[in-house]
Amino acid sequence: MISARAFIDDLREYPWVNLLAGLLPARFQPKTAQIVPSASIAGNALTVVIAIMSFLACLTAGAVYMVNQSARAWVNDIASEITIELDPVNTADIEKKMTLVSLFLAKQSGITRVKPLTAEDSAKLLEPWLGRSDALSALPIPRLIAVEIDRSNPPDIETISAALSQSFEGVTLDDHRRWRAEIRTLTRSAALGGLAVLGLVAAATIAVIVSATRSAMASNREIIEVLHFVGANERFISREFERHFLGLGVRAALVGAVGAMLVFLLLPVIMHLLGGDGGTSVTEMSRLVGSGELDFPGYLLCVLVVFVVASLCVITSRLGVIRVLKSYA
Amino acid sequence: MIRFENVGLRYGTGPEILRDVTFHVLPGSFHFLTGPSGAGKTSLLRLLFMSIRPSRGLIHVFGENALALTPAGRAELRRRIGIVFQDFRLLDHLTTWENVALPLRVMGKKESEYREDVTDLLRWVGLGDRVDAYPEILSGGEKQRAAIARAVIGRPELLLADEPTGNVDPLIADRLLRLFVELNRLGTSVIIATHDYALMDQLDAPRLVLYEGHLDLR
Repeated sequence: MISARAFIDDLREYPWVNLLAGLLPARFQPKTAQIVPSASIAGNALTVVIAIMSFLACLTAGAVYMVNQSARAWVNDIASEITIELDPVNTADIEKKMTLVSLFLAKQSGITRVKPLTAEDSAKLLEPWLGRSDALSALPIPRLIAVEIDRSNPPDIETISAALSQSFEGVTLDDHRRWRAEIRTLTRSAALGGLAVLGLVAAATIAVIVSATRSAMASNREIIEVLHFVGANERFISREFERHFLGLGVRAALVGAVGAMLVFLLLPVIMHLLGGDGGTSVTEMSRLVGSGELDFPGYLLCVLVVFVVASLCVITSRLGVIRVLKSYA
Repeated sequence: MIRFENVGLRYGTGPEILRDVTFHVLPGSFHFLTGPSGAGKTSLLRLLFMSIRPSRGLIHVFGENALALTPAGRAELRRRIGIVFQDFRLLDHLTTWENVALPLRVMGKKESEYREDVTDLLRWVGLGDRVDAYPEILSGGEKQRAAIARAVIGRPELLLADEPTGNVDPLIADRLLRLFVELNRLGTSVIIATHDYALMDQLDAPRLVLYEGHLDLR
């Protein structure tokens, strides 16, 4: 196995110009023939497989990033709000109680805004689950008061909650702690799932490159022997192979990444089409992944995937070549 | 430069092809290696070139124990040796010029440094008009000359040639022998494996004769 120091030393003295020339398609490459011909390296099939892997990796990374961003915004949003719930059962004048509780809350320090929701507003919140129906008005739906808090000077939630319970019967305070914990669990699960998918994609890419390297080495055995006879060392021979794999990896990864970026660009349209006339599914999807648009750092993540895939191609092919050369020795 | 001591070689569990081979090659020397077909000339050249390991004995190449070399060390020593194979070993996808330039490319030299040298050498071995030709359209003799040009282009300290004049007419054979002699005058040690007595008779050089696995110096 090549040592890390040798690998870094080798990178320093790398013939980068030749290597970068390897990125170009064969017809644009320098006239001096390549010692290992491009045609002898597994071509189209390998390119398609790596492009698909890159596409999947970009989609996964982008989706996880998007869910993460959306969840963070959501958590931030609900962390600056608390909700007061008034039980309508056994309350003679619920509107009066709403006013009293609102006035009580408005007097507390650290509260910037108190917004009592009307009975219609409360019923509307249930529409995604129960549908639009006049029967809702007959139900004892709890009344809600949305309270915005000053995050730089937050109120003592425990004290307010205790005071509300003491002063008003059937009034509870929800600081959304349970929701936030659930969202965090959800985003962590999504991130772990994404990492698992990325790991599988990386493993599949490595397996494909190892197989392609072995096959390329076998079909170029004669060239390798001649290179040995004229004094080429393992590094020289591995470079001749890995420049092909780098070129192939970058080209394929770019195709996959561009495909994934197009999907992200079209995602809002796709979501709209899936959701028909902007019904529940669009609303729910938007809650999960935001607007469905990837921001600039999200696209940078796709570019990073291209680098990672190309690096995987180079490192795997190099280690594969050196391993096969050792077995020849 | 080269030292063989009690070297024996057998392939697998077969009989010993070389037995107790002991000889020294001094810098600037010229040797013919001869013997009947199947006597082990090619195997001895392969031992000299470190492409196979002996079953027993010691081999020192340029003062290094050839049996204890790392792959990188072996590659380093091989750059100081030029070899001409009986089957030429030219790369079919490279032109004659590119094949001949291969050792210099491996050494990391820039093309601008050796462009003229390679063209001049090809002209000298009579392949001036075959510079851009691919090996598959070269005749046996032309391939032989291209292989020789590839072996000598890097000015090796030791040149090993396996039947280098086997596929060429007497005129070209004579010219190639003069190339080897010229290289030898410039300091390259030369070992030519051949059973062409006419060729050996042209030069007063010691002969390493292989017979039934044993080596005699005559």
